[in-house]
Amino acid sequence: MMQRSSWFRFSTPSLVLIPVAVGINYIGKLFAGTLKLPLWLDSIGTVLAGMLAGPAIGALSGAINNVIYGLTVDPISFVYGLTSILIGLVSGIMASRGWITGWARALVVGLAVGLTATAVSTPLNVWFWGGQTGNFWGDALFAVVLAQTGSVWLASFLDEVVVDIPDKLLTVLVAYALFRSLPKGIKQLYSGRDELETLDG
Amino acid sequence: MSKIRVEHLKYRYPSSEKLALDDLSFEVDEGEMIGIIGRNGAGKSTLCQAFVGLVPHFYRGAYGGKVVVSGLEVLKSSVSQLARRVGIVFQNPFTQVTGSKWTVYEEVAFGLENLGVPRKEMIDRIDYALQLLGMEKYRDRHPFDLSGGQMQRMAIASVIALQPEILVLDEPTSQLDPQGSEEVFRAVHRLREEGMTVILAEHNMEKIARYCNRVMLLDGGKIIDFASPASVFSRADLTRYGVVPPVYTRVCRELNAKREGSPHFPVTLEEACEVLKGR
Amino acid sequence: MKTFSLYVPRDSLIHRINPIDKILYTITAIAVPLILPSMAASFLCMLISLSLLAAARVVRQSLPVFAFVFLILCTVVLIQGWFYPGNQTPLFGVEPFVFHAEGLMKACRIGIRVTNVVAAFLLLVLTTKPADLVEELVRRGLSPRIGYVLDSIFQILPQMMNTTRTILDAQRSRGLETEGSLWVRVKAFLPLIVPVVMSSLIHAKERALALEVRGLHFEGQRTWLREKRTYPYSREIRGGLLLVLTASIVWRILG
Repeated sequence: MMQRSSWFRFSTPSLVLIPVAVGINYIGKLFAGTLKLPLWLDSIGTVLAGMLAGPAIGALSGAINNVIYGLTVDPISFVYGLTSILIGLVSGIMASRGWITGWARALVVGLAVGLTATAVSTPLNVWFWGGQTGNFWGDALFAVVLAQTGSVWLASFLDEVVVDIPDKLLTVLVAYALFRSLPKGIKQLYSGRDELETLDG
Repeated sequence: MSKIRVEHLKYRYPSSEKLALDDLSFEVDEGEMIGIIGRNGAGKSTLCQAFVGLVPHFYRGAYGGKVVVSGLEVLKSSVSQLARRVGIVFQNPFTQVTGSKWTVYEEVAFGLENLGVPRKEMIDRIDYALQLLGMEKYRDRHPFDLSGGQMQRMAIASVIALQPEILVLDEPTSQLDPQGSEEVFRAVHRLREEGMTVILAEHNMEKIARYCNRVMLLDGGKIIDFASPASVFSRADLTRYGVVPPVYTRVCRELNAKREGSPHFPVTLEEACEVLKGR
Repeated sequence: MKTFSLYVPRDSLIHRINPIDKILYTITAIAVPLILPSMAASFLCMLISLSLLAAARVVRQSLPVFAFVFLILCTVVLIQGWFYPGNQTPLFGVEPFVFHAEGLMKACRIGIRVTNVVAAFLLLVLTTKPADLVEELVRRGLSPRIGYVLDSIFQILPQMMNTTRTILDAQRSRGLETEGSLWVRVKAFLPLIVPVVMSSLIHAKERALALEVRGLHFEGQRTWLREKRTYPYSREIRGGLLLVLTASIVWRILG
């Protein structure tokens, strides 16, 4: 018999959700570029995968996203794989605990995801770039704070916060809008929670 | 010997309140070709997927009764186990391509690799399947560089390579142009000559009349009729079930031209010619 | 069929090395400077990775990535040179933008580290066909189902991007505003992305059905159409890398 919803045996619908999640991440990035938005919007798919299929698939989508991005566009993306994993994980955990039942709650998820991303990316930035993010406005702030306070960690944290919090807020809100617009039959496929009922007798 | 035995099959999708299949019972013998007809939503696709175990294992939901294919009870077997006995080809040729292989040859190997068929046997089976479907000249093509008809034949080859005893075709030509559609039907005809049992859900009634020996008419998840094409297509109430009989039957009905000694109208071009010439 | 990856087909010894060994190299090249935080260790690792890139004849293909990195490194030099908290020895410049020796040194260290990490990853990425990497990982015990996901992304992603471009063009010709104020552009985003997501998920469901009946969920042992490839010098490379790692740990403890 088919095994369902264990952490290590993923259902086929959940597995084929991962390429779609990675694709949505790429498309978000493409649109952000085309529309000249000052944000990345490159983890909408990861968040949506977490909302639809839970933390394990969310985390896996994040990991695979960065591996693929590293192989196809930018090898530095390998360094930030951990951030992506946690984005998928946190949105998946919060979604399964009932935090995506309204816009106000989704906003909280956005903040949580943003703070998580900041908490993971800041040490990576300090190790890799000496604290910068590579985002122009964020790095300008980094320079100012570093000059004023002399604290690399504070400067790097603020650099990451001004970029990540708005970005992840919008990312989660877009993912939530997508989640709401999906028909029940599609969402059902990924939940993997239902037992087979019998109509005999 | 019956290849498929269905007893009081009932099924409801998880997100739905209404039964998609409502108490179906029938048998199919070895070497038969069965046509399934009915309007959209009548339950054709659901029934097709019930033969291969996707109903209920993929969707879950609520299930009752019993389906036995080639001696395996669907409810108690996994989809992978069933795949060796009964193969299915779906509507959209595009989404049946795995997307993980770079040639037609490797694509056909996909199922064999998953099911652990030894390499030597794998190669024999792929060669046989490609040849049977007339696809050997495309073996090194990229799967997505094929026409719709070729892609659908590749999908059939991928299934045939698993050596099933039964082939289920769920509207295999509804998204193809006439030429692609003809290619697919010729291939299916060849499979029948090899002794394959075939189930075909299809909207093209001329094709059903030409190729199938029995026709099942479904409506609202129930069997309305299950008999010879001549008998089903001669029913006066077919349009009530959203089915338009083959053009030859319609013409002969207008002319009231029945085969001598038969209560039914002709359903194929050949029969119609015969009957009309004899007048 | 278009694919997109940074892989550059070449006939070099490095291309013929087992992908797993290249991953192990990448890990070692990044780990050693972490274990031995001296600039010399980083510099050495960087030099080795760069010369391996040259040996694989993929230097030209690595330039665009390095160019992007270099751009950010320029800002690193400015920011660290001016504002590095340990700055003491002014060299040149006008207040408050005075370059200091310590900051420039720090920037130099960051530059070497970044170049080393990027070069180590590039060596793997530029000389390894993704499908070979996945196959080798699955043969080593990665779940074939995850292997399938990785493989299929290389074909499914370009398709999704094509759909997206079609929709983008269609929406634009229908007068969708992709210019204008920030808010107008943000509002333009959703109607663009919803149709792509819907059609992709429906396709994904249909593909899941097709994969399921072709045994993707099978529990038993799988087999391979392709015969197992043999890769040269695998044992030597692994032994060597292990030796280097052990030596650096010992050095760190004793030093």
